[in-house]
Amino acid sequence: MSEEQAVAGAPAAPRVERRVRRRGPLSWIDVRGRRLGGWAFALNRATGLGVLLYLYLHLVVLSLLAGGPSSWDGFILIATNPLFLVLDVVLLFGLLAHGLNGIRVSLVGLGIIVDRQRALFVAFFIIGFIVFLIGAVRIFGETGGG
Amino acid sequence: MTEQATTDQRSAGQAQPGAGTRTVTFHVSRSKRGEDPHRQSFEVPVEARTTVLDAMISIRRHQDPTLTLRHSCFHASCGTCAMRINGREGLACVTNVEELGGDTVTVDPIANAGAVISDLVSDMSAMFGHYAPMERPLVRPSELGPGSRPAEGVAELERFEDCIECGICVSVCPISATDARYLGPAALAAAWRVVVDPRTADAERAMALADVDHGIWRCHTAFECTEACPSNVDPAGAIMNLRRAATRRRLRGLLGGSRSER
Amino acid sequence: MNDAAAGTECIEENQILRRTAPGSFEENDGLFVALTDEDREYGRRLVEACTESRIPARELSPQEALRLEPGLNPELLWALQVPDATFDAMRLPLRWFATAKRNGAAIRPFTEVMDVISADHCVTGVVVRDHTTGHESRIGADIVVNATGPWSESIATMAGVDVPIQPSPGVLLALRGRLCNMVVNRCHPSGDGDILVPQRALTIVGTSSWLVDHPDDLGVPEDHVAAMYREGAKLVPAVNGAEQRAAWSAARPLIGSRGASSGRELSRTFQCFDHATSEGVEGFVTISGGKATTARAMAEKTADVVCGKLGVDRPCRTRDTVLLPHTAYYVN
Repeated sequence: MSEEQAVAGAPAAPRVERRVRRRGPLSWIDVRGRRLGGWAFALNRATGLGVLLYLYLHLVVLSLLAGGPSSWDGFILIATNPLFLVLDVVLLFGLLAHGLNGIRVSLVGLGIIVDRQRALFVAFFIIGFIVFLIGAVRIFGETGGG
Repeated sequence: MTEQATTDQRSAGQAQPGAGTRTVTFHVSRSKRGEDPHRQSFEVPVEARTTVLDAMISIRRHQDPTLTLRHSCFHASCGTCAMRINGREGLACVTNVEELGGDTVTVDPIANAGAVISDLVSDMSAMFGHYAPMERPLVRPSELGPGSRPAEGVAELERFEDCIECGICVSVCPISATDARYLGPAALAAAWRVVVDPRTADAERAMALADVDHGIWRCHTAFECTEACPSNVDPAGAIMNLRRAATRRRLRGLLGGSRSER
Repeated sequence: MNDAAAGTECIEENQILRRTAPGSFEENDGLFVALTDEDREYGRRLVEACTESRIPARELSPQEALRLEPGLNPELLWALQVPDATFDAMRLPLRWFATAKRNGAAIRPFTEVMDVISADHCVTGVVVRDHTTGHESRIGADIVVNATGPWSESIATMAGVDVPIQPSPGVLLALRGRLCNMVVNRCHPSGDGDILVPQRALTIVGTSSWLVDHPDDLGVPEDHVAAMYREGAKLVPAVNGAEQRAAWSAARPLIGSRGASSGRELSRTFQCFDHATSEGVEGFVTISGGKATTARAMAEKTADVVCGKLGVDRPCRTRDTVLLPHTAYYVN
């Protein structure tokens, strides 16, 4: 009775359409305020996309084989260019990062090693860094060859 | 309304600016009626004890009564004052302004947990939509404190669960940032609590709710939830534990199935 | 202890709360701890009062008390176990709000009462502004109930009536670490820092008392914080080194005119004022005083008064209605 009057007496406020404001996919690589786990996640997303892009390029390059020795040899000339080798090193980084972190995610994500996720990240980072250095040196050793 | 004048605390008649007072500029997110948020600047006198919540309340009382924010307990227990302060999620009532350092502070509402009703207020509907169905009890057996055995007439020492439903974990989660169907760290941590300590709730039911595509398997181990949680809930740990339990459950189901086939 | 009748009501209300809001309490009982001979004497009178109010109380030797709470001051003389529980001050009220909403109540947060509308000594509604939209409107009502705690007087003034409320703030500390599982009280008349309440992984130490004219902009006096540490450590020594999670102050609404010196003398009872009988203003009722544990009882008393004015004769349902879970407030 009076409750109905009270509610009816109040003119309805204009209906407002509200949607949940989510931070969106750009937040995947926004590392501000993040800790190790968040960095690992961001790295995985970025390297995942990078390696995917490489896969596409790789298939394009391989298709040159169908064009016979002339088209393939042309590609090999570029492939030993120092700028190209830098890209190779970047690729190595991406593969190592994504691969090693992937192992970490599998171990953690199946509940096998949960408490040490940060330590795992550090350990794999060290292993990865060493392999990366060795690999980078060997790649740059290819300059001028062939 | 853009720049605001320095507040005159004397108008309140009580809290007088003391010797240790300095002025800090707060850039506070404003948004009414679903419009895109913009930041508004306020100068607020702060002392050694002033928290971000104190500063927001001061703005509301002395400069702009239309600033809306949620708060209740002042001691990190109710979870309603969660905000993004200088880009990092935290409870405003226990975030000391002097410890933040600098002369400016940005204050925004948390993300992903619900629609922003106004300024710093989120309706928390998105988070509770996933969280409420877990039906996790509020109390658990007390494993903390010096009490060695309960008093006569007390069946078991108990305490409130850690989770204060602040939504910080949901706000920092990169999956909740893009996937509305993801149950989110708060709900999954609650599910784990039910599985571990059923009490009045149903463990099987909680596991069934959690062990779905958009449940525990949508997490990508960023661990930001555990890092940001102000109450030691460790939602990421809970999710991984649920995965281990779910994996065992499925394997048992597979083995059990093949055995019965013979 | 001055209110033995209040003691019985307290026990009854405790039972109502446990019945209607199951699962909302840490039910570990409480202790009154005597550290001095005066405390011990006070304890003797406390036991008598408990017997009179039929509150089950159990006397404990220091050894027995320390077995229950090893963190207690080992020099305690005596302890009294009483029924007690702690509740979550946010989530218990949310159960009331959720249940009220389900039963048809319209709750409008962030909506400020700007004025009370009255004509001819009769209150007919309120003017409100919704701060989420800036929209101002009038809400008509047969009865306006003023339940604004320490702000009761500012609202009453809008209606042209007076309410004898003395806002009395106190400081509380939240310390990291669950230093006890039971509620630990000092066995003496109400004083500074004489209660420790566990809450999740924190320990709340309270409280102090001073008087103010306005319940806002209270500040946190450092000497009161020091008093909490000092007095709290007398009950549980670990309070001394415990890290401070938070320190805050809030105002209690005490019934009684200004004039008392510290507020401790004023009772924590509650009172319902029908301004038609006291000041000839119809349509306005104030409920104030009290504390969190008596909130439901206060509402029942107020509803009785309001129903009496409206000629509604229905039995109270809040004594037995089991409340919805607090999460129901957020999900429709």
